[in-house]
Parts: sequence; C-alpha cells; structure tokens
Amino acid sequence: MFPVKIVRPDTLKDVWLLVKNAGGPVKFLAGGTDLAISAHCGRADGETWIDIGALAELKGIRLKGKKLYIGACEKVSALGENALVRKHAPVLFDSVRQYASPPLRNIATLGGNCGNASPSADGVCALVAEGADALLFDGKTHSRRPVEKLFAGPKRTVLKPGQLITGFEIPIRGGRGVYLKLAARKNFAISKICMGVSLKTGSGAINDIRISLGAVGPTVKRALKAEKILLGVKLDEKILDLAARAAVAAAAPIDDQRSTAAYRKAMAGVLLKRALRALCA
Amino acid sequence: MKHKTSKETSRLTGAKMLLNCAVNGAAVSREIDTGLTLADFLRRELGLTGTKVGCGEGECGACVVVVDGAAVNSCLYMAAQAQGRTVLTIEGLAGPDGEPHPIQRAFAECGAVQCGFCTPGMVMSAYALLARRPEPARAEIVEALSGNICRCTGYEKIFQSVERAAQLLADRLGRK
Repeated sequence: MFPVKIVRPDTLKDVWLLVKNAGGPVKFLAGGTDLAISAHCGRADGETWIDIGALAELKGIRLKGKKLYIGACEKVSALGENALVRKHAPVLFDSVRQYASPPLRNIATLGGNCGNASPSADGVCALVAEGADALLFDGKTHSRRPVEKLFAGPKRTVLKPGQLITGFEIPIRGGRGVYLKLAARKNFAISKICMGVSLKTGSGAINDIRISLGAVGPTVKRALKAEKILLGVKLDEKILDLAARAAVAAAAPIDDQRSTAAYRKAMAGVLLKRALRALCA
Repeated sequence: MKHKTSKETSRLTGAKMLLNCAVNGAAVSREIDTGLTLADFLRRELGLTGTKVGCGEGECGACVVVVDGAAVNSCLYMAAQAQGRTVLTIEGLAGPDGEPHPIQRAFAECGAVQCGFCTPGMVMSAYALLARRPEPARAEIVEALSGNICRCTGYEKIFQSVERAAQLLADRLGRK
C-alpha cells in the first residue's frame, strides 16, 4: 500500500474544495501511471491525490469549430481508436501505437502525460507537432497555453498550484503527419529520441510545417530553424540535408542510461529525413 | 454547513473509502485504504493471488487484469479507480464447473507455460485482445502482448497459444 490518500470529486467544481481541504501536498491523478510509480519509488509519501480521471467534464473527443477537442482524461488507447483523431491529428494518432504498452495505454491520459512533464513523453511530443493548446482551469479562471510552453524543465511545468489541464485543442490544418521514435526495442520502450512532424503541401511545396523533438533536451521542443528552411520550398536532397543539419543543431541531448548525446544528436537529422521522405513521397 | 459524519470526513480526507465494484461477476463492497493498488486489493483483501506482482512499475505485465473490458496493469491502477467498474482476474475465467477457459486450455496444450509467473498477465492480455478481435493477426497478438514480459519461453509458444485460443473460442461459438 502506498502512503498516499486519494479523494474523488463528483464534479469538476468539487476539485478545488478538495485541494483546499487536503492540508498537504496535492497531485492530480488523471490515469495515475506516473504517480503510482513515484509512490512505488517512495517519492509520494504523504501526498493527497485528487482522482479526476472519471470526471465527465474532462472527457470527450469532438470537433469544436476548426479545432479538435480532446478531454485531458481521455485514455491514450481511446485516441488510437478514434476516427476524428485519425483524420485531424495524424501525428498524435501515429504516436499512440508507440506509446508505452497496451495495458498502460488503457490507463494513461494525455493530461497526465503533460502534467508529468517528461522530456521524452510521446503524448507531449505529438501534441507539440500538432500545434495543440492546453486548456487550463484553476477553479475560477479559464486560460490556454501552447503545449510547447507548458514546461519549465524535466518533470516541471509552469502550471500554478491548483491549475488543472482540462483538455487540448488541436487546430485542424488538413495536412499529413508522422511520429517517429528510436528506442532499445520496437515496443514498450522509452525514447532515445522521438520526433513528430506535421506538414501540408500545395503545388509541390511545403506550406505549413511543425517539427517537435523529444528526449534531446530538458523539455520537448520545436526544431524552428529546420521548419524555416523547409517552409515554402520543394523538397530536394540539398534542402533535406540543410533541414537535417538544423534539426541536429536544435537537439541538445545528454548521455544517460538510454543513449548517448552524440547518437541522439545524429539521429535528429536521420529521423527528420525519414519523416520528410515518408510525408512527401 | 451540516455536521459531517465520520464517514463523510474520512471521504474528504481520503484515508478510507467504500469501494463498490464487481470482481469476477460478484458484487464487492468494502471499506478500503485509498493508498491500495488494485493488485494489492485483489491479492490481500480478496485473496485472489492468481494476479502476480513482478516489478510493481508497469513494466512486466504480470499483474494485468481486465477492467471494463480493457487490460490494465493492476500494480499502477489504484483500487479507488475501480469504483463502479467490472474487474476480471485469472480466477474469473474458468467455467462454473471449473472447466478451464479456452485461453487457459490453449496455453496448457501449446506448452506456453514454464515457470508460470507471467502466465496470468499473459492470459488476461490475450483475453482482452480476443474479446475485441476474435480473429487477430499474428502482428496484433504480438502488439497486444507487448506489455507482458516472459523470461522463460521466448514468446513463440505464447503467441501460438493465443492463435489456438482464437480457434477454440470460434469452435465454441460454432463460427467455423
């Protein structure tokens, strides 16, 4: 048994009453896969977890005008079975089958994946490539923030205490997308490096592109210079080389138990070439 | 504000809760410590020790059970999250007369079990897959079991067992 307490609000409104009553460190439990590991490793003693995972207000996948809304507590596995996600968020859809394992995908959520703020988080990397905004609520005020600006460092978000991610909005850009990941094995492994690429072409040229990079820095980031090189041009070998070099330059990885900085950096260019060739073929 | 009962106070502070769920077809209603994982609840509170705990970190899959039709790692799934849900464990698969489930039969027939520690998790992942995809391709079986680690068998016989189980289930339903 973990030395934590769990409270379960009946409605979203109740969440902040429970935060106030907790009288100690509070965490939001969406799916709980990261929280339970932290407790298992002895890093959650005395915490109160507010179980928001079953709240109807944090569920749903639907179109909202020209955006796709995804509730923060939708299970990752549900995203991989959803026709709207498949059609309008191709990077996110492609990331699902590479995200942890099937039983973990049945527990984990995108809201929790962002809240945990891992630089190698597949959900975060995919959302950044999609240009998603996180919808935030602190019990009084609603606000929004691009997912790429949610993070202050590894395992640290910029969210204020009591501020909750309620969902995500992904702009429908009508393009194509791919999610690539390198890890120790094909299934169920944390990335050495991961990349999301979302792009749109017209008259043979790229007219919209977003590239996200994960596990190669303290937070998931965009390869902005590579995007700039690719925008408005027709793809050829020279452009591919230039963009790949820019992606390598954007990667600022470390050596750790999963890989070396040198390998990760080199692979940023390789993955970008693979992604662009797949999307522009 | 009306006076809170001790039960209500306990609910607000979160130390305890009344868990109502169904386990292997039977209604369960029990006051629990909220820090219990589902695996601990099943094993320690209900004595259902068929569910194994290997790593305790969602890596090995020995603890997989089926909640509302979906395979989950019960070592990372809190008992509190099972409120109002339907839980199926390895003990709930056999028929009322003790007849092994076709998946269990297939595992035995195909020699998919060596030390057996991973087997309940493998069987439950297979159960969730076959409920959703009665005729899975080999690639779908491999994918569905990718969260379950076996250190003995090398997986091939396990994959064969799931294919055999699909056949046995189809025969039972008279599909083929």
